[in-house]
Amino acid sequence: MKVGTRLFIALAAALAAFTANPQSPPPSALINQESEETVEAARAASPHTSESTYAYFREEAEAFIDEATQRIWDPNAPREPAPRTAWGDPDLTGYWLNVAYVPLERPVELTDKPLYTEEEAITAFVHWATQDASVDPATVHYDWTEFGMDNWQSPIRPNLRTSLIVDPPNGRVPPLTPEGQVRLEQQARRHTLESRGLYERCIQGNQGPPRVPFLQNTGQSQIVQTPEAVILITQANSDVRILHLGGSPHSPQSVRSWLGDSRARWEGDTLVVETTNFHSGRKWDGSAGELHLEERLTRVAQDTLLYEATMTDSSTWEAPWSIEVPWPMMDPPGLFEFACHEQNYGIINVLRGARVRAAEYEAAQREASGTE
Amino acid sequence: MGSKVRTLEKNKVRTLPAGMLILGLTGIGAAQTPIHEPFPDYTPPRTLHGTPDISGIWQSFTTANWNILSHSVQPGPFAEITGAWGAGRAGLGIVEGDELPYQDWAAAEQQRNYENRAVINVTNDPSRFDTGDPELQCFRAGVPRANYMPYPFQIFQTPGQVLIVYEYKGAYRTIYMDDERPAYDQSWVGTSNGRWEGNTLVVDVEGFNEHTWFDREGNFASDALRVTERWTPVSPYHMRYEATIEDPNVFTRPWNIGFMLYRQVEAHARLHEFQCIPIVEPLMYRPLGFYDEDVSNN
Repeated sequence: MKVGTRLFIALAAALAAFTANPQSPPPSALINQESEETVEAARAASPHTSESTYAYFREEAEAFIDEATQRIWDPNAPREPAPRTAWGDPDLTGYWLNVAYVPLERPVELTDKPLYTEEEAITAFVHWATQDASVDPATVHYDWTEFGMDNWQSPIRPNLRTSLIVDPPNGRVPPLTPEGQVRLEQQARRHTLESRGLYERCIQGNQGPPRVPFLQNTGQSQIVQTPEAVILITQANSDVRILHLGGSPHSPQSVRSWLGDSRARWEGDTLVVETTNFHSGRKWDGSAGELHLEERLTRVAQDTLLYEATMTDSSTWEAPWSIEVPWPMMDPPGLFEFACHEQNYGIINVLRGARVRAAEYEAAQREASGTE
Repeated sequence: MGSKVRTLEKNKVRTLPAGMLILGLTGIGAAQTPIHEPFPDYTPPRTLHGTPDISGIWQSFTTANWNILSHSVQPGPFAEITGAWGAGRAGLGIVEGDELPYQDWAAAEQQRNYENRAVINVTNDPSRFDTGDPELQCFRAGVPRANYMPYPFQIFQTPGQVLIVYEYKGAYRTIYMDDERPAYDQSWVGTSNGRWEGNTLVVDVEGFNEHTWFDREGNFASDALRVTERWTPVSPYHMRYEATIEDPNVFTRPWNIGFMLYRQVEAHARLHEFQCIPIVEPLMYRPLGFYDEDVSNN
């Protein structure tokens, strides 16, 4: 990195820190520093182990793994032609699950290995699924397994890819620009409400746009289709995106939104969606209002929808980057109302905890500098 | 079948064509009944799956969101700040008979709601939910209120479902047309099951939670609320909305509402996003001290 760039980053970060609350503690100070000790103590005190809890779900998990490993996702396998709607468009309708064990970024040791062999893919999948089906005895809230909401309790399949990122070729997010680096630091969660995540505030679910899978099975969605539009509904936060067909232009740049403005068109069997006009307060991995998103949806098999997304923002990343996630068809009964903001206990509890930590940090700072 | 109406012409009884129905012609000053408008017979276009096509962007023009009964102009909360911006227009009600058949306890509760409608009391205690009008805090408006709020909504139709997406909050409802779905749990928008009766979409909605308000006046329902909606296109650009409200916990009998929906026809018509959570966060969370600089004040 050039000296000038380093200087810019240092100055920008200092400026950012100064213009924020000058006493604002770093995000690391807001985490319960005793949490690792507490977790270890809970594990030691529990009569259970991860292995013994896995025993509850072993039969179900092994049956699932047996079945899923027969249906490995091969991105280069020939695709079936898409079924058609009554008016002749490719049919993307139904309930689909955005879920993956494959990590977003490729592990460094696999940098030159974008694809596993089938055996390796199965080995990795079995490892993840088994780990997922075990319950950490230190769990204090509830474990998703009990509610049938682990990834392995869905139609997820082994995937030959070693990362969800397929471009750049090393399978990792491109470097941030200096401006993107500053913005990423500013977007860290602190003890103010505006610094918290959009999902914590119930402004937007954890399903994008773009739709990057989370570890748990929270990627349920529904696609409704008419000749005029494709409507993408996600379970997380009950977010609705209307993807307009018909060639109408984007709204003017003066009209911004948290979910962006989406215009869609068909390219063969693929729905191509361009989304722009993001709200400048929308924090996403260092990007904000300048994100340009292109998503692609293709019905590659009766039970699989392929989701691809390319993120372009030259103010944030040095290059565009793309992901690919196969979505299995979901079992019924479909989606439920997700009334996140209607009495959001979480944000209250999270903020109270963060502010306790911040007060402790400030007190420690004052004591350390001898001004108390 | 026509209906016979005695007109102003002496001694002439005219039979009106089928489809024209006039109610409540009882003269000026009588209790206002929703008056059905004189549209000629209308056959709506069909969807590809053969049902009437009511898809598109619709919006009502009543002031019922302020008060579903007839009402005068009113200042909004904090009129010393909001002035004419915050004031409410006068309007005729959308309720047949222009009165609500409250049980005695419920009439007092409505008054209490009205007095506390701008009170915000956010809590992390799940046993409490003492807030004012849900709309003020950007909560879901529910049914039927979302249909007469001053925001558009868009209807999409598929063979098995009717999807309604509301600009307000981006809230949505799925009306199940194929298989009967029981209410899985309580929710803000309820569980909707629909069927076509001629050109009318009839929707049964139930499974509401206990937080339904019909308007900003504090008119409310319990979780026993059941709504039966009737959506009838009457011209290429108009759709009549009627609903029967039943709640044996709150009211002494069912009651009806009715108003007209208007199609948005501009070539560029679209729903925008109305994401009101960032707007209401200071209102909701400032009393908890979350906007104080002094972090020890938690």
